Amino acid sequence: MPLTGDSTVLVPVDVSVSGPPDPGLLDLLEPVNVVVLGYYPVPKQTAPAHLRDDHESEAAARLEEAVSEFARADHEVEGVLVFTKDREDSIDRVAIQHDCDAVLLPDDIGTVERILVPLRGDVNLERIVSLVADLAGASDAVVTLFHSVAEGTDPSQGEFMLRGAADRLAEEGVDADRIDWKLSERGSPRREIVELAAEYDLLVLGETEPSLRDRILGTVLTPILDEVETTTIVVRDIE
Amino acid sequence: MSEHTGQLERNIGFLEAMTLGGGTMIGAGIFILPGIAAEGAGPASSISFVIAGFVALLAALSLSELATGMPVAGGSYHYVNRALGGFFGSIVGWGMWTGLMFASAFYMIGFGQYLVQPIPFLDGRALVVLLGLVGLALIVGVNYYGTEESSKLQNVMIGTETAIVLVYVALGLFFIDPANLEPFAPTGPSGIIATTGIVFVSFLGFEIIATVAGEVKDPSRNIPLTMVLSVVLVTILYALVMLVTTGVVRYQEIGDSLVPVSDVAVVFMGSIGVVAIVAAAAIAAISSSNSSVLAAARVNFAMGRDELMSDWLNVTHDRFGTPHRAIIATGAVTALLIAVGLEVETIVSLLAEVASFSFLVSYSLVHVALVVFRRADPEDYDPSFRIPDALYPAVPVLGVLLTVVVISQMATIIIGLGLGIVGLGVGWYFLYVRDHAIDRGLIGEAITQGSVGYRVVVPVSNPETQERLIRLAAATAHAHTEEGTPELVAVNVLQVADPSPQQNIAAERLEHQRDLLESAREIASEMDVKLRTVAMSGDRVDETLLEAISHEAPDQVVLGWRGTLSNGGYVFGPNLDAVVEDAPCEVTLVTFHGNPIGGTVALAGPGPHAPFAARRAAEFATVDGTTPTLLNVQQMRDGDEDAAVERGEAVIDEVAGRAGLESGAYQREVVVAADTEVAILDAVSQYDTVCVGLSERSAASRVMFGTIASRISQEATGNVGIVRGAPES
Repeated sequence: MPLTGDSTVLVPVDVSVSGPPDPGLLDLLEPVNVVVLGYYPVPKQTAPAHLRDDHESEAAARLEEAVSEFARADHEVEGVLVFTKDREDSIDRVAIQHDCDAVLLPDDIGTVERILVPLRGDVNLERIVSLVADLAGASDAVVTLFHSVAEGTDPSQGEFMLRGAADRLAEEGVDADRIDWKLSERGSPRREIVELAAEYDLLVLGETEPSLRDRILGTVLTPILDEVETTTIVVRDIE
Repeated sequence: MSEHTGQLERNIGFLEAMTLGGGTMIGAGIFILPGIAAEGAGPASSISFVIAGFVALLAALSLSELATGMPVAGGSYHYVNRALGGFFGSIVGWGMWTGLMFASAFYMIGFGQYLVQPIPFLDGRALVVLLGLVGLALIVGVNYYGTEESSKLQNVMIGTETAIVLVYVALGLFFIDPANLEPFAPTGPSGIIATTGIVFVSFLGFEIIATVAGEVKDPSRNIPLTMVLSVVLVTILYALVMLVTTGVVRYQEIGDSLVPVSDVAVVFMGSIGVVAIVAAAAIAAISSSNSSVLAAARVNFAMGRDELMSDWLNVTHDRFGTPHRAIIATGAVTALLIAVGLEVETIVSLLAEVASFSFLVSYSLVHVALVVFRRADPEDYDPSFRIPDALYPAVPVLGVLLTVVVISQMATIIIGLGLGIVGLGVGWYFLYVRDHAIDRGLIGEAITQGSVGYRVVVPVSNPETQERLIRLAAATAHAHTEEGTPELVAVNVLQVADPSPQQNIAAERLEHQRDLLESAREIASEMDVKLRTVAMSGDRVDETLLEAISHEAPDQVVLGWRGTLSNGGYVFGPNLDAVVEDAPCEVTLVTFHGNPIGGTVALAGPGPHAPFAARRAAEFATVDGTTPTLLNVQQMRDGDEDAAVERGEAVIDEVAGRAGLESGAYQREVVVAADTEVAILDAVSQYDTVCVGLSERSAASRVMFGTIASRISQEATGNVGIVRGAPES
């Protein structure tokens, strides 16, 4: 399914605390549809329905406020309010139900000028590229595609993929001079992504299907997300 | 579409439910009870545990069925309250709450005993009580501040504790001296059963799974599985622990010990064993006590939700989000119970037994609730786990009988204290509940099931019109009093796009039902009709409604309609058309424009549904005590107005006859005009409410809406009822 101009991004917002969404975030998500997931964290000691009874109107008002901040004429903005003990669980469920292409994990975000897009391989490449095209198409941001090949292997394949992705981006309407790519042969993608990310305003990652090993040791993604202090968009692996 | 009703996530998976239930059970009695049990029944106390396990298993079966039918917070309390009403609801609610507090105090005193015992110079009751209070303070603190304890850590802790117990059993089996097991049952059968009453406290854990039912993922699978599995596994484990304990050391010695398991462990595992056992016992007491406080808060919340408990107690903390007052109250009473241990020598078995008593009473009422639910079979009760038919009346009947047997063997003081707690529930009902809560027990229905009067189904969803709609439906039902007590069934359908097992829809249904009830109750009592409410959920409103209608087999369905004809292939709208077409009973669509029902008029014409419209007009007229008018319009022919009026009156009388209206019960109005349509619209505008029949039903069973009826519904300034008769079958 081509995703030109119609990507949907899920934005989780903690509605137990007030505060307007970051203006940088509003600018960034201008070109896509948004599902605002207002989640109210429920402590273990409380029944979720109990907390909802006491705080529903307040939470709904905050969500409404956030939704209206995001609202624009040409794209859909939807609000979902959830009382949950497990934010990740809710993100997963709502992302599936509302057919979201990506989930945004916000950090302090100013103007997005530089976007880092690490690519692993063909997995999910289409979706990642079209979302990046949506986001970059509406701004002047510079996009850096990144790939790391294992030490001692032939780098040409990685280069081929990066060039291909860059071409695709250009086709989708991003100026070729704003696209840049980096190939690393040092073979430790995790550390490099974390280091690189510090210089960027936005990180776009593809979701990984957890393998058995990942389930035991944790996915590659989770440690990256824990260490990175840049706002990150995780593109879901829908197929 | 942007809906802002907060959705509730189900976050407790299989493993978590197991650690919550099984962990509580293993933690609770396993380290403390063997001493008391050995004293009561000798080596045969393992049989006491098996009996207790069996009683618990019966309760787990009944609870599983109820919990999969209504997976919301509250556990036993909620099911009993729904089935048997507020009186028994408040007995079970208070019983569970106090039971959990007694159990908590029991765990914490055991905790103190295990910590104090191994260190020779630290001794004495004061210290035991002090340590118990410190432990309790810790738990209350954690619960008050809502510290999200890592569930991983909890799993590791409970895993460690279980592993230690398993090692104890596995090694201990080799050290059993058969001579120690003689005599096997020194106190005989009554001693064994009396001991069952004490050790039953260990089997509270599975109830805790039911109390958090509203949060369990995929409840139809996980609730029955974890409840039954935890009861069976824990029963086997307890029986083995008891065999090992009494087999390694003579039961008389164990009976005197406050820390029986550690005293036995020292025999074959040395001091390392003792350290391990003390550590396990401490973890166990803390985790069991913590789950009890957690469950107590749920019970309180559920009682508050049903208005059996004051809202003051039931608010959540602004910052921590925890039900802090309920937690503090629970903690305070538990602390008091622990402190009583300073004076009362036998406090441990006393606390255990009172907690057991409370839960035994609750479980026997749960069995009764199950029978009531099965008999009344309300629409929204559709459990995915059902007790197999071969076991059905047996499980609840045996459950109640065994409960009575176990209670009958309890010490007099326990029965006294237990009855005191029951009395507390009863007193609470008369002092507080009766004035606050809506009594909605199903028991009356379970008994009277079968005797049918006139039944009207009213789907409600719009809070603005639902009151008038129910009032009107009640009026039509009331007109049929002579056929037996009429019954009103208010149905609410919650539209759920994609009911996933991750999401708590049951809670939403419950909420809808409560709102529904509150407004419907007064109206029903005013009108002297029986009211029942049904909350359903489905992804298509019309299909779900039809399902409810076919289940209730009513005489009539009264639906609210906005009054605008839809485009896009629908006549009345996507939710209504199917009902109007397919409902196997009379159907009335009502559009409210004016407030009073006032004077009513029905079009008495040739259509097949005209008599039904006439009857409806007569029924509606009773709301404001007016006389209905039947209206017929005749075209002016040959300039003879009198003949036209006569023809009209004949038609009216014929329609009235078919509608079963006696002459004098209606007024006739004949309008003679050149343009019938204009004349009808004119005449009708004089009345507050107008009833028209659907024009006809074609063979293709499509809804046919005549031009006159359609114009009236579009242009009328008063209320409009569009009536369809029952299809001839």
